[in-house]
Amino acid sequence: MATQLKSKVNYVDTIGFGADVGGRGFHIPIDLSIRPDGRIFVANRSPAHRKGIRVGICDINHGWYHEFGSDGNGDGQFTGPTAITHGPDDRVYLADEELNRITVYDPDGEFISKWGEKGSDPGQISGPSGLKFTSRGDLLVVDHLNNRIQRMTADGGYISHFGTSGTGEGEFNLPWGIDTDSIDNIYVADWQNDRIQRFTSDGVFIDAHGSPGTGDHQFNRPSDVAVDQDGFIYVADWLNQRVQVFDGSWNFIKSLRGEATVSPWAQDYLNANADEAEARTRFNSLVEVDQGAPHEVSSKVESYLWDPTAIEIDPEGRLIITDSLRHRLQVYQRSNE
Amino acid sequence: MTTTHARIDESLVAHLLRRASFGGTTEELSHFSEIEYETAVDELLNARDTMSIPQDIIRRYHVDMSDLRTRPSSSGNWLYHMVNTDAPLVEKVNLFWHRIFATGQTKLIQGKAMTTQLDMFREFGLGKFDELLLQLSKNPAMIMWLDNQDNHKGSINENYGREILELFAMGAGNYTEEDIKECSRAFTGWTVENTDYMALKMRNNTMRPYGYVNWQFKFDPEDHDDGEKIFLGETGNFNGEDVIAIICKQPATAGFVARHLYHYFVADELPVPQWPHFPPLNPEAIKVMTDAYFESGYSIKAMLRALLLSDSFKSEAAWNARVKSPIELVVGTLRLAGGYDGPTHDVYGHIASSSFMGQDIYAPPSVEGWMGGADWISTGSMVQRVNFASDIIGDLDREGIVELVESIRADAGEGASPESLVQASLKHLGNIQVSDQVNEGLAEFASNFENTVRPSNENIASLLQLIVATREFQFV
Repeated sequence: MATQLKSKVNYVDTIGFGADVGGRGFHIPIDLSIRPDGRIFVANRSPAHRKGIRVGICDINHGWYHEFGSDGNGDGQFTGPTAITHGPDDRVYLADEELNRITVYDPDGEFISKWGEKGSDPGQISGPSGLKFTSRGDLLVVDHLNNRIQRMTADGGYISHFGTSGTGEGEFNLPWGIDTDSIDNIYVADWQNDRIQRFTSDGVFIDAHGSPGTGDHQFNRPSDVAVDQDGFIYVADWLNQRVQVFDGSWNFIKSLRGEATVSPWAQDYLNANADEAEARTRFNSLVEVDQGAPHEVSSKVESYLWDPTAIEIDPEGRLIITDSLRHRLQVYQRSNE
Repeated sequence: MTTTHARIDESLVAHLLRRASFGGTTEELSHFSEIEYETAVDELLNARDTMSIPQDIIRRYHVDMSDLRTRPSSSGNWLYHMVNTDAPLVEKVNLFWHRIFATGQTKLIQGKAMTTQLDMFREFGLGKFDELLLQLSKNPAMIMWLDNQDNHKGSINENYGREILELFAMGAGNYTEEDIKECSRAFTGWTVENTDYMALKMRNNTMRPYGYVNWQFKFDPEDHDDGEKIFLGETGNFNGEDVIAIICKQPATAGFVARHLYHYFVADELPVPQWPHFPPLNPEAIKVMTDAYFESGYSIKAMLRALLLSDSFKSEAAWNARVKSPIELVVGTLRLAGGYDGPTHDVYGHIASSSFMGQDIYAPPSVEGWMGGADWISTGSMVQRVNFASDIIGDLDREGIVELVESIRADAGEGASPESLVQASLKHLGNIQVSDQVNEGLAEFASNFENTVRPSNENIASLLQLIVATREFQFV
């Protein structure tokens, strides 16, 4: 059983590079989805530079494939991307909290269809912020402004929902990310309640973990949660600028503050800009900073996580984190001691 | 100086709120009219912001306002504060210091450094002037703005040493060129961490590879000139703190800050470069503030309190005597209209409107800031001002405008005359005072409403649009 194992989580690598007008790289990556073949689809929010809004495809070995989607409300476009996931049909599903719709693409990013209607009736959505397919092929949609999780068919048909506004068991306050474990239990990042809630596959409340704060087991606006094949739980503790790792019984394992290094794409940039490369030889990325809110500290320490918004586990069990304000992915690996 | 202790005149309250806030809503006018003037001043001076939309909400829905890299992001974030705050005088004081310690994102590139400076103003802007100057001298945005990272032991860069004396604290004519050099020597070694790389990234204007790394103050003792200096007549091995202490005890400093406060809160003074050659408009008001400065140990709040309680401030001659700056017009209008209690993409358009009117927040035209006064008004800017205010105030899709219109109708009363409707409208827009001629024109307009007994929301909104297009609405 997972809870009996002693685990450690180590930094592995950094993927990516800031690219605010498109091309190889990311700009404010908000979520990612990993295809079974290992390709990583990264949704970029990039509101200040609308050309940066797109999905970029790369892999764990720094391979870059191509990008698709763009800013706008036409077919295949989006303005407020929040979540991306792959369906069992190998299609790509992208949620847009501003347009209140889900757009469906083929594996190459070609537009197939879109669905979604703004509202609060069953089947309508308001601010979709998280997506996850269950093993049965249902799509769980975090309908965050309605404070509920909706179970939909892949083409947008309503099946059921659970959750309402509040702070009690099974109630939400602007939830964000979502994941399921190997037995289809559902985990929701209950953002403004500073906790993770766990439900059965039918949406029956199991437990909640976390409270407001900065200590272990405490969260400040958790944005996402991921569960690996052994049941270990990873929480993107967004305003605390870290990822907390727990076993399946919520025993604390480790807090990840960030250890990013220069990725090959970043190194290519530095190789082409000799003056920056030269100045960077004297750059201390782990400079000691004044005490302050974690967000402020992260703004000053390049290797730290800065607004980690999403976490996914790849087929090899690696933990991939969108380090959104640093426009990169940080990769970690859990192993048993 | 006299103080009004009785319940205060609504017109005086409106004047106070135009200057110490961004104009008054109906509720604010009513609240401050019910308390003593001195209490009202203290309430404004001591208010703590509790109503601003939380930063976590802003960051979630405006992810660009989390790293605050670009100007629309950083200035938009500030606009949220100004429109929502229940401590408006703090934001007015922030604008005051932003105008005097004019720092530009145009050079610094990264907005996070600008908002860090703004946060510093928020914390120290009403505090002691020596502490504020110390924070300013350590502020990374100011260091990079005035190149103090290039101010080295044995090879001084005089930019900061000059400006702290000329533009920030004393004014030209109160020091010598030698004082500038000695002041600069005292600030050698005051730089930012990772100096070379940060300066290069600023120059190259690139967010690559991993976005901007926010700057942090660093004192480099190896690069600091610890030798003896003669500064403003005093001799010693002065460092930056010592120099600030000497600056702050000068009568010229008190007078300079006081004149700026008068210029901003009471009446447009001459442009700052002319100050050495012409006396202040109101020497008595300056003396009230300089006395407060020394009696309080250099407190800005004490100076401002003395000013707001002074006859020169309360005098009717001071009412509506200053041209609204573009940001004052934008914020004041939006505070009347509401609609900023949650994230809205309108914020980018609204901050751009201020820019079109001539005030690009975080991008002052030079180290001297904005000239202000009549310079705010040109043919082009006037069109922008009227269009902006008219668009907002006539937008009946805004809950706040509907509430405003209904309040006006209720206040004027059923079957009110056009004149009463005009008076109610002027009152609810912040107790605006207009000339008789404008009054008559507005009443004539209202008399043409289809249903003068119970004018429609659209009719009242159109009257409001006409009022915000008047000459009088351009003043504070």
